[in-house]
Amino acid sequence: MNDLVVVGAGLAGLLAANFAARRGASVTLVAQGRGGLALSHGCLGLGSVAHNPGAFPERHPYRLAGFDKVHPAVAGFQQLSQAAGLEFLGDPETPLQLPTASGAVLSVHFAPRSLAQGSLSASEKICIAGIEGFRDFDSGLVVRGLRRRGYRVDATGLSFPSGRPGRDLYSTDIASALDQDWQSREIARLWAPRLNKVDRVGIPAVLGLAHSVDILTSLQSELGLKLFEIPTLPPSLPGLRLERALRRAALAAGCRVLEGPMATGRLDGTSGGVRALGLSTWTPAGPRVVDAGAVVLATGGALNGGWRATRSGRIHESVFDFPISAPEDREAWIGERLIGPHPYDRFGLTVNSRMQPCGSDGQPFFANVFACGGLLGGADRRTEGSREGIDLVTAYAAVEAALS
Amino acid sequence: MKAVSSLADLCVKCNICTAACPVAVVSDEFLGPKAVGPQAERFRHPQWAATDPSVTLCSGCGVCSRVCPHGVPVAELNIQAKAQLASQRGVPLRDRLVARPAMLGALAQPLAPLANAALRARPARALAHVFLGLSRSAPMPQFSARTFRSLQPARRSESPKPVEGRPQLAYFHGCSVNYYEPALGRLTLRVLDRLGYDVWLPPQGCCGLPLQSNGQFAAARRYARTNVRTLAPFAAAGVPILGTSTSCTLALKHDYRAILGLETEQADLLAGAVYDIFEFLRDADPSPLEATTFHPVPLHLLYHAPCQLNAHGIGQPAYDVLRRIPGLSLTLSESECCGVAGTYGLKRERYSLAYAVGGRLFDQVSQVQPDLVVTDSETCRWWVEGHTGVRACHPIEILALALGLQDENGLLGKKAAA
Repeated sequence: MNDLVVVGAGLAGLLAANFAARRGASVTLVAQGRGGLALSHGCLGLGSVAHNPGAFPERHPYRLAGFDKVHPAVAGFQQLSQAAGLEFLGDPETPLQLPTASGAVLSVHFAPRSLAQGSLSASEKICIAGIEGFRDFDSGLVVRGLRRRGYRVDATGLSFPSGRPGRDLYSTDIASALDQDWQSREIARLWAPRLNKVDRVGIPAVLGLAHSVDILTSLQSELGLKLFEIPTLPPSLPGLRLERALRRAALAAGCRVLEGPMATGRLDGTSGGVRALGLSTWTPAGPRVVDAGAVVLATGGALNGGWRATRSGRIHESVFDFPISAPEDREAWIGERLIGPHPYDRFGLTVNSRMQPCGSDGQPFFANVFACGGLLGGADRRTEGSREGIDLVTAYAAVEAALS
Repeated sequence: MKAVSSLADLCVKCNICTAACPVAVVSDEFLGPKAVGPQAERFRHPQWAATDPSVTLCSGCGVCSRVCPHGVPVAELNIQAKAQLASQRGVPLRDRLVARPAMLGALAQPLAPLANAALRARPARALAHVFLGLSRSAPMPQFSARTFRSLQPARRSESPKPVEGRPQLAYFHGCSVNYYEPALGRLTLRVLDRLGYDVWLPPQGCCGLPLQSNGQFAAARRYARTNVRTLAPFAAAGVPILGTSTSCTLALKHDYRAILGLETEQADLLAGAVYDIFEFLRDADPSPLEATTFHPVPLHLLYHAPCQLNAHGIGQPAYDVLRRIPGLSLTLSESECCGVAGTYGLKRERYSLAYAVGGRLFDQVSQVQPDLVVTDSETCRWWVEGHTGVRACHPIEILALALGLQDENGLLGKKAAA
C-alpha cells in the first residue's frame, strides 16, 4: 500500500513526490506521459507574493495554502534543488529580469546560474549570439526586442564544430554533443574571435543536459567572459534539466514512477464515499489497481488535461470527475485577445485550507484527496507571474496536509 | 488501425517525445518521433508508401508513446508506417530470418553444437555480414541442446488443472527460454514452486513481435491468433499468465490489439490476464513475497529497465522487489534503451546506430563496475553482456539467490559471452 500517490509529473507533481518521499512516506508517482517542464524556462516565478500578498484575490491558491507556507516551501525547493545538483540563484523579494528568445523580459525570482547570469541591467552592454545550423533561436529577434525596451545589446553568430548535420539541429543535439565531449578549448578557439570586445554573452540554452554546470564553467574560463543561456523553443534545456533532476531525486528517495498510463480515481463504496481507495491506471493491458492512503492531484490546468470541458458547458476534473464551476455560456470563457487574459485561465478546482477539493457547499469530496498546481482555480498565473510559485507552495501544502 | 492513425491528431507538437528519443539524440539523420510519427502521418496515403523512409531509422523502443502527455501512440504509428514500406518494397531474407526465432530454434536446436560453432566462427559471421546483412559485431545467443518444453513434459497442459488450495499460474516462456535459455525457465519454475504456485505450460508459439517489428504483419497475426486461442482456457479460468520476457508480454497485453488489430473479446480477456512476472509478484499477489524472509545477497547490481518493460506502464517492478533484498547494492540505469531494441541492432546497416544508443548504458556499466547487470529482457542481456563483458542476468536469478534456491557461485561462475 502506498502512503501517497501523486498524479502528474509536471513541476507540482515532481515537487510533491519529492517532498513526500523526503518525509519518509512511500510514494508512487503516476503520470500520463512527461509533464510540461520540457516546454518551460525552468525558472521559478513567485509573483508579487513577498511584497503585496493583499493583491491576490480571495480563493487564490496562495491564500488557500496560506502565505505562511511560502517561505518553508521556497526553503524546501532550495534544499531539494541543491541535493539534486542544481544551483538556483535569486531571492523571493527581488525578481530577476531575464531576456527571452523572443526579445521580451521574463521576471522570475529564482533561476539556474546559467540563466541568472543574464540578469538585465540598464547600463551594461551585452551581446546575444546565435548558433549556425540551430534555427530555433534568432539572435536578431532577441536584440530587436531588447533594444525596443531600452537595453544596450549587439548580435553575433557563432558556429558549432559538428560537421554538416543531416537535418536541422535540435537544442538537445547540441547539448548531447557537449555532454559527451565538451571540447571547451576547441569551441573557445572557434568563438573567441567573434566575442573579443564583450564581457557578457547570451547564447541559446544548449550547454549540456547532464554536465551543464561543468560545461558553463570551463567555457567561461577558456573564453575569459561571462556566458548566460536564454531558454529556446522546445525542447527547452533548462526545463529538461530541472525535470531530470527532480525525477532522479524522487527515484533516489525511493519514489516509484509509473510513467505512461492515464489514471482514474477508485472509490470506496462501502464507507459512504468518504475516502478514495486509490487509482485505476489504464495500462496497455487494461486497468490495473494502485492502492493509496492518500492521493495528491497535480494534473495541471486546461492545457495539461487536469480538467476537461464538454460541448454542453460542463467542466469536470479528469481523475475523480469532480465538478468545476464555470459560466454556462462558453462564449464567456474566452477573452478578446488570442494570447489572453482569458476567463478560463482562472477556472479550476476549489480547495479548502487543507488543499482538499471541495464542492460548492465548501465540503471536501473525500477526506484523503488533495490537489495542487495548475489544477487549482482562482489565479491568473500569466499576468501574476506566479505559475511556478503556485506549483511549489501548493505542492508543499498538499503534501503536508496529506501526510498529517 | 484506423484508431491509431486518427490519434495522430492529438499531437500538439510539443517535442517532449523528441527530447526523450534515444535514437534522435545520437543520429542527425533521424528526424525524431514527432516528425516521422504524427507529423508525417498527416501526409500518408492509405495505399501509397511515404516517400520519406526516415521512419525506418526508428528502433521501435516505444519511449515516445510512453512520454507523450497527450496519448499519441507515436511508436505504434511508426511500426505501421514501417510495415507499409516493407509491404511495398519487399522484406529482405535477413528480416524474414531474424523475425522467426521459433523457426530458427526448431531448425537449429537439433544441430545446436554446429549452429553455435557457426555463430561463434568469424568467417561464418563475416559471410552473414556481407551476404545476409546480419552485423558481424552484434552479440548472438547460443542455442540450447534441449528445448525448455522438452525438459518439462509434466507441466505441459492445454487447460488449467486445479488442485485444492494451490493457486495456479500459466507460464508464457517465449522463444528465448525455449531455445536459448531453458535454465532461466527452470529457475522461474523453482521460484514459483517455492512461493506456492502450481505452474502450467500452455501450448504456445512465438509471440509474433519480431515479425511485427520487421513489418510482416500477416505472419505475426497468425502467431497472435494461435496464442490467443491456446491461452484462452487459462485466461477464461482466471489463471494469471506470467512471462519472463518483457517484449513477449507486451505483445500479448498490447500489440495484438493496438497494432495487429485483433479486436476480439478473447484478446481483451488475454491481455487482462497477462503479467510480467515481477508485476505479478509485486502487485497482483504480493503476499507470498511479503511473507518471505530473504537471504542477504552481497552483490552490487546495475538494474536496467528494458524499453519494452517501461512500455507496460507499470513502472519497474523487478527493481521494486529487488530493493527489499538485504545486502544488495542497486544502481539504476540512466538509459531509456540499451540500443538493440529486439532485432534492430542485429542489422548491418543499423548496428552502429544501435551501439551509439547503448553508449550511455555501456559507459555507466564501466563507471559503476557492477558485479552483474540485471535486466528483464533477453535481447538486452545478450547485447549489454556482449558489449561490456559484464554478465547480464534476469532479475529472477537474483530473487532465486535471495530465496536460497541457487548460490552466488553458480551465478557468477558463468562466463560472459564476450
